[in-house]
Amino acid sequence: MVSGMINEDLLYLLAVNLYRLPFESRKDAQVIFSYVLRFKPANASPKSDPIAVSYIITNKPEVLIELCNGYDHKESATPAGTVLREVLKNDSAAAIILYDDPGAKSPNPQKGLAGIQPNAVQSGQGVFWKFFDWIDKGSFEVGADAFTTFRELLTRHKSMVAQYLSANFELFFEKYNNILVKSESYVTKRQSIKLLGEILLDRANYTVMTAYVDRGEHLKICMNLLRDERKMVQYEGFHVFKVFVANPHKSIAVQKILLQNRERLLNFLKHFLEDRTEDEQFMDEREFLIKQIRNMPAVPVEPTQKPAQLGVAR
Amino acid sequence: MSDDQQASRYSVQEELGSGSFGVVYKAIDRFTSDVVAIKQVDLESTDDDIQEIQAEIMLLSTCASQYVTKYISSFLKGHKLWIVMEYLGGGSLLDLMKPGNFSEAHVAIICRELLLGLEYLHREGKIHRDVKAANVLLSTTGKVKLADFGVAAQLSNIKSQRNTFVGTPYWMAPELIEGSGYDFKADIWSLGITVLELINGAPPLGDLHPMKALVEIPRRPAPKVEGSYSRDFKNFVAKCLDKDCDRRPSAKALLGHSFLKSAGRVEALQELIERKQEWDSHRKGPSHKDYYQETLNDMPSAHENDGWVFDTVKQATIAPRKNTTKRRKLSVNHANGQGLVSGAEDMFKKLDLKDAPLDYSSPSPATVKRVTVRKRPSIAQLTTPTKQRQASSQKRPLQPDMSYGNSASTVRVFRRVSDNSTMGQVDSDVTTALVTTHDENRPPMAETVTKDAVYGRRVFNKVVDPAFQEMHALTSNPAQREALSRLADAWSAFDALDPEGEYQLMKLLIQKAQNDPKLSVQLSPSKTSSRDITPQTSPQKPAAKLVLAQNNPHLKSLRRRQSGMLQDEPREKLANLPGQEVPGIPHTKQIEDVLYGRWAGQLRGRWPNV
Repeated sequence: MVSGMINEDLLYLLAVNLYRLPFESRKDAQVIFSYVLRFKPANASPKSDPIAVSYIITNKPEVLIELCNGYDHKESATPAGTVLREVLKNDSAAAIILYDDPGAKSPNPQKGLAGIQPNAVQSGQGVFWKFFDWIDKGSFEVGADAFTTFRELLTRHKSMVAQYLSANFELFFEKYNNILVKSESYVTKRQSIKLLGEILLDRANYTVMTAYVDRGEHLKICMNLLRDERKMVQYEGFHVFKVFVANPHKSIAVQKILLQNRERLLNFLKHFLEDRTEDEQFMDEREFLIKQIRNMPAVPVEPTQKPAQLGVAR
Repeated sequence: MSDDQQASRYSVQEELGSGSFGVVYKAIDRFTSDVVAIKQVDLESTDDDIQEIQAEIMLLSTCASQYVTKYISSFLKGHKLWIVMEYLGGGSLLDLMKPGNFSEAHVAIICRELLLGLEYLHREGKIHRDVKAANVLLSTTGKVKLADFGVAAQLSNIKSQRNTFVGTPYWMAPELIEGSGYDFKADIWSLGITVLELINGAPPLGDLHPMKALVEIPRRPAPKVEGSYSRDFKNFVAKCLDKDCDRRPSAKALLGHSFLKSAGRVEALQELIERKQEWDSHRKGPSHKDYYQETLNDMPSAHENDGWVFDTVKQATIAPRKNTTKRRKLSVNHANGQGLVSGAEDMFKKLDLKDAPLDYSSPSPATVKRVTVRKRPSIAQLTTPTKQRQASSQKRPLQPDMSYGNSASTVRVFRRVSDNSTMGQVDSDVTTALVTTHDENRPPMAETVTKDAVYGRRVFNKVVDPAFQEMHALTSNPAQREALSRLADAWSAFDALDPEGEYQLMKLLIQKAQNDPKLSVQLSPSKTSSRDITPQTSPQKPAAKLVLAQNNPHLKSLRRRQSGMLQDEPREKLANLPGQEVPGIPHTKQIEDVLYGRWAGQLRGRWPNV
C-alpha cells in the first residue's frame, strides 16, 4: 500500500494541494503523512529509514519543498508544519530543505541528497530562506508554526547546521538580524533573539559564534535590544549580549564600543532588570558582566586570538 | 489583515473572568455583529515559552466540534496575544451551581454532552486533562461545551501515554497522580468527579488541602454517589471512578450506558441558566463589571538622546538614573502591575489568593498550569545550585500556610528547561511540589513547649523582627523593600510554625559566620567602619543582618560581592586576561572556567557522513 502510494506520487499531490482540502480532510491528510512516513516493512532493519522517507530524500525532494510551501496558506500551515517537524528528525530530510537552491550558479544535476553541495554558498532562493518571510509576514498562526519548524531546522542536527551557517554566514545573519530580530511582531522578535542566543551558545556552533561576536555591528544591534521598552526583549537581548562581553578575545571594534560606553553600561547594568530577584543565574551573570566591563583595559588591545575561519570544513 | 486592524475589528466589552494565561472579555465583532469572547494573554508578564501558548492555540484550532468551544482566530496586539473564541452566554457550570446543586436529570444531560465532547477529543488524539465544572460552559440555549485547553495534550500517536503531571488535584485520576502513565481514561475519571461536584457542590476531598488530596486520592477507595439517586446513576459514576484505568470504560462505551438513555434534551439546561439569573437578581449590591480599558503603554518610540554611543565619544553625563527609573516604570505598566514579579511568581500570587482548600462561593478556582521556570543556556552550566535555590524560593511567604498548590488550582508542571532541554525533564520536578505535603501534617501553630522553642520565639522577638524593621526602614528601593518584606513575612511564618527550628537556624547561622575568619572579622561590630564596600551598594549596612537575610537574593549577591572583593582584591587587576582566574565569587570563576574551556576547546563542527 505504501509503495503503491509512492508509485502514484500521492504524497507529492497531497502536499501541493493540502490547502485546498476541507478542514477535516486536512487533518486526515496529516494522519496519512504521519503514518506513511513512519512505515517500515516488517523485515526492515530497525536502523533503516522508513521507505517513504528514503524515497523522498533520494528521488522526490519536491515533497518536502511543497510541505514547506504549505506555509503560503493559512489552511495548510498547521498540518504541513506538523508533518514537517516529524520528518525533520531525519537529518537527510533537514539537509534537503536547508540546501534546496534553485538559484545555484552551478546546479548539481543529481536530485535529492546526492545533489547537495555542502560548501557552496547559497543564492538565497532556496526554500529555507522563505522561512524568514513566513515567520515575519504570515498571520500569527502561520508565523508561529513556521518559527517552530525553523527552530527545529536550526537546532536539531547540530554539526550539519554549524557547517551550513559557516558557509552562509553573511546571508543568514543579514536576514536574521534585519527580518527577525528587528521584526515588528513582538513574538517573532522575542523568540528570534532567544533562538539567536541558543544558536550562539551551542558548542557545535563555536566557529559561527566567534565570528558573530567579532562584529561591532552585531554588538550594536544587541545593545539596542537591552534598551528596548519591553522587558522580556531586554532579557532575551541580555543573553546574547553576555556572549560579546564574556569573549576573552574581543575584537578591536567590539572593545571600542564597549569602552566608549563603559560608564553607561556599568550604570545601566547595575539597574538592569533589577526586579528579577528570583533568577539567580541572571543575577550572577549580570554581576559577571559588570566585572568584565569594569576590568577592561582603557584602550583596545589586539586580541590574542582571531575568530575561527568561516566556511572551511574541517 | 494586519494585527492592528484585526484588533480594531472587535469592540471589547466587560470582563468575563480570567482563565488560564489571561483575562477573558466579551466583545462584539464589528463586521458581523457576532458576540465573541476574547482572551487576552499578556506575553510580557510571563517567562513561559511562547511556544506553550502556541501549542494551546494549535490544539484549539484543530478542534471542530459542537461540544468544544469554537476557536475563531488569534493575533497579536503589541505584546498581548488576543485569542478570539465563541461567546457562551450561559456561563460555566461552576457559576451555575451558585444557586444550588444540580438534579440527577440535569446531570444526565450534561454527562451525555460531555461524553460526546470527550469522545470527539479522544478520537482526535487529544486529552483535555482538566475536566471540571469550571471548565464546562453553557450556551444560552443550553449547549454544553468543553473549554479551557490550557493543559490539554495532543498525542501524535494514538497508543501513546503521557506522564506529565497536570490538572487540578481534586479532579485528578489516581494513575495520573501516581505517575505511572495515563491516557484518555484520565478524562473519564475527572468526569466522574465533576458529576459528584455537580450534585454535592464540591468535589470529594474538597475540604482537604489540595496537596493532601493528592496523597489521599490514590490511597482511598474511589468516591461514590451517596443518597437517593437512581441505581443507574450510581452505577454510571462508579464506572467512571474505577481506580483501575484499564477497566474504566472509554467515552464511547459510556455513551451507551443506561443512565444516559433517559437523559433529556439540552434545552432543559436553560432552567439552570434562568435559575442563576433569578438568583443574581435577588442578590444585593450592584453588580460591578470590569470594563476593558486599553492600557496606555504605547510609549513614544522616539528615544531621547541617552542611548548608546556608537560613533564619537560624547560625555557620558546624561543621567542614566533618570533613564533607568523610566524603564522600570514602563515595565510595570506593561505587565499591568505585575512587572515586579517573574512569571513563576505570578502564578504563585494567584495561587495564594485563597488560603482555604476550596472556596465555592468565590469565582472558579484558578487554573494554574505549567509554570516554566526557564533555564537559559548559560555561559556556564550552573544548573544544580540554581535549581535547588529556585525550588526553595518558590514559596511566596505572605501568609503562614503558603505551600505550593494552596488553592484549588490546576497544577502545572514546574519545568526548567536546561541547556539541552528535552521534554523528558518535564515531569521530574513535580516531586519538589509534592515534598511540601509533609508540612501539612504538622499543626499550623506548633505549641511552644520545649526550651529551644522558647528561645526560638525570643530570637524572633528580640533579633529577627526588630532587625527586619530597621532594615526595612533603611531600604529605599521599592523592589528591594518588597523582597525584604517578603522575606520578613516568610520568617514570621516560619516562627509561627517552628520556633525550635528557628532557634536552631539562628544558632547555625551564627556558628557558620563565626567559623569563617573573614566574615567573623567583618561582622564584629567594632570594625564595621573599615569595611570595603563598593560605592554602588545601597544602604544595607548593618552587618549582622546580611547573615540573617541569606534567603534574600539581593542581600545575598551583595554579600557575595563584598566577600569576593575582600578575598581577591590583590589579584583583581589581572582578571581580564583570558584564562585568568576571575577573582571573587566562586560562581564567577566557574563561569569563566567553563567559558574559557569552551573557547579554547576544539569544538568545531564537522560535516557528518551525509
